[in-house]
Amino acid sequence: MTVPSDRGFSRRSFLKGSAVAGIATTGLTAAAHAVPAAPESFGPGRHEIALLVNGKEQKVTVETRTTLLDALRDGLDLTGCKKVCDRGSCGGCTVLMNGEPVTGCLVLAMDAVGQSLTTVESLTEGDTPHALVQNFVKCDAMQCGFCTPGMVMSSLACLQKRGKPTEEQMRTDLSGNLCRCGTYGRVMEAIQRTAAGGTGGGK
Amino acid sequence: MKPFTYVVPKSLAEASEAGKQPNTVLKGAGVDLIDRMKERLQTPERIVNLLPLKDELAGVAVEASGELKIGATTTIAQLEQHEALANPALAGLQAAAALTASPQIRNRATVAGNILQFTRCWYVRSEAFHCLHGGRGPTCLAMTGENRYHAVLGWMDCVRVHPSNLAPPLLALDAEYSTRLGDKVRRRKFTDLFPAEPRAQTAEHTLEAGEIVTAIHVPKPAAGTRTAYCESREKLTFDWATTACAVKVVLAGGKIAAASVVLGAVAPVPLPRPKAAALLLGEAPSATLFQKVAEAAYAGASPLAHNDYKLVVGKAIVREALEQATR
Repeated sequence: MTVPSDRGFSRRSFLKGSAVAGIATTGLTAAAHAVPAAPESFGPGRHEIALLVNGKEQKVTVETRTTLLDALRDGLDLTGCKKVCDRGSCGGCTVLMNGEPVTGCLVLAMDAVGQSLTTVESLTEGDTPHALVQNFVKCDAMQCGFCTPGMVMSSLACLQKRGKPTEEQMRTDLSGNLCRCGTYGRVMEAIQRTAAGGTGGGK
Repeated sequence: MKPFTYVVPKSLAEASEAGKQPNTVLKGAGVDLIDRMKERLQTPERIVNLLPLKDELAGVAVEASGELKIGATTTIAQLEQHEALANPALAGLQAAAALTASPQIRNRATVAGNILQFTRCWYVRSEAFHCLHGGRGPTCLAMTGENRYHAVLGWMDCVRVHPSNLAPPLLALDAEYSTRLGDKVRRRKFTDLFPAEPRAQTAEHTLEAGEIVTAIHVPKPAAGTRTAYCESREKLTFDWATTACAVKVVLAGGKIAAASVVLGAVAPVPLPRPKAAALLLGEAPSATLFQKVAEAAYAGASPLAHNDYKLVVGKAIVREALEQATR
């Protein structure tokens, strides 16, 4: 699958990119004689990488400048993570990398190669949604729902790390996720219910 | 973001060599860099990724000498959670790491990246404004504009503040840093990393092109050392400091035998205040003493139109840090 080219990729930048690629290729050929061990390099054009997402290795075509968020949403159709601020300020794009929450908008897709990624989609595979997702519904822990996937991922990491988190620990772990509807109290209730139910993937 | 070539070096020498090339940027996690590239404030042709050089650059270790070695690409979360930091002598460093940004950022951002990040001045960081910083315009727009988050001390022709949380406690702990430039390995005092005259045209740090910070070294603290770090801000979590203070005291027989006071978020560089710290020497901790030290830490301040609150709040933060360290 390919990241659609209409995302900030104009004819002008494509032509410029090709020109740079042409120069770079010439440069590399010339340099190959003088310096045999040039470091490996990619781009600036498109190329295919493999991302390990929700336990499955998936091929996706990216540019070097493609963020993990864009690769997941536009390349792999995993649209659970949301592009809100695109600057790491809101947590809407939170996914887990090696079990730790990160903001996908501030990670280059290239940097995510070889890392184990978990998205919110992994919690709804199969017939029964994850207990945390069920508790988000039961506690009505959302209004407009835009922050919810990121909120769920930070909550999941909180449960996995703490088992039965205290209110202070929940506040710390959710501090990177903003909700303009103010659902924080209910989100914490959903985490506590999941922890009490023992099905939250905790310790 | 403009397209770029992504370079994956196999060694530090290779990374440093690649980093010397024109229009090339060395990248850790890239948290600050990606942000600036999206704003088109920086449009490098090549990015050299340092993250794969884990053996050379990542991890925290206590050396045989008792010195703490922090690899440059150690994440802020790894630093905060390391067992060596559960020590009153390093409590200030741990607090600063824990207060930085959000869990998502701490899991990703590197220690060196936090220290070397670009200023957060909203004029400097917006493509729409042409300010003196980096020669984009004729004047510092913050000096006469919206400057409530800007400098009150040590500014020259640009009133940006240094945003790093980790730099003040590291300075208070007399840390050093190692760099690699080609084949050359150097180790210097932490104060050398920041410009002595932080002008608009001066970079936030003194590194040369292609020079890579490889590690930060915290000397073994003397017996009785305690540190603390406090900051004021508008939100309880996930915010930039409006003022910050790191302190180190060495207590012997109820008296302060050695001390450092370092201010953050109030000047274009993290600012050691040796004259303020000297007032603590030979004295027993007291509220009156801490008040004197706080006044001295902000002596000579020149606030701007909208930030004189920083003097009041900043002094309270100095007192709070001293109280925490001597409690």
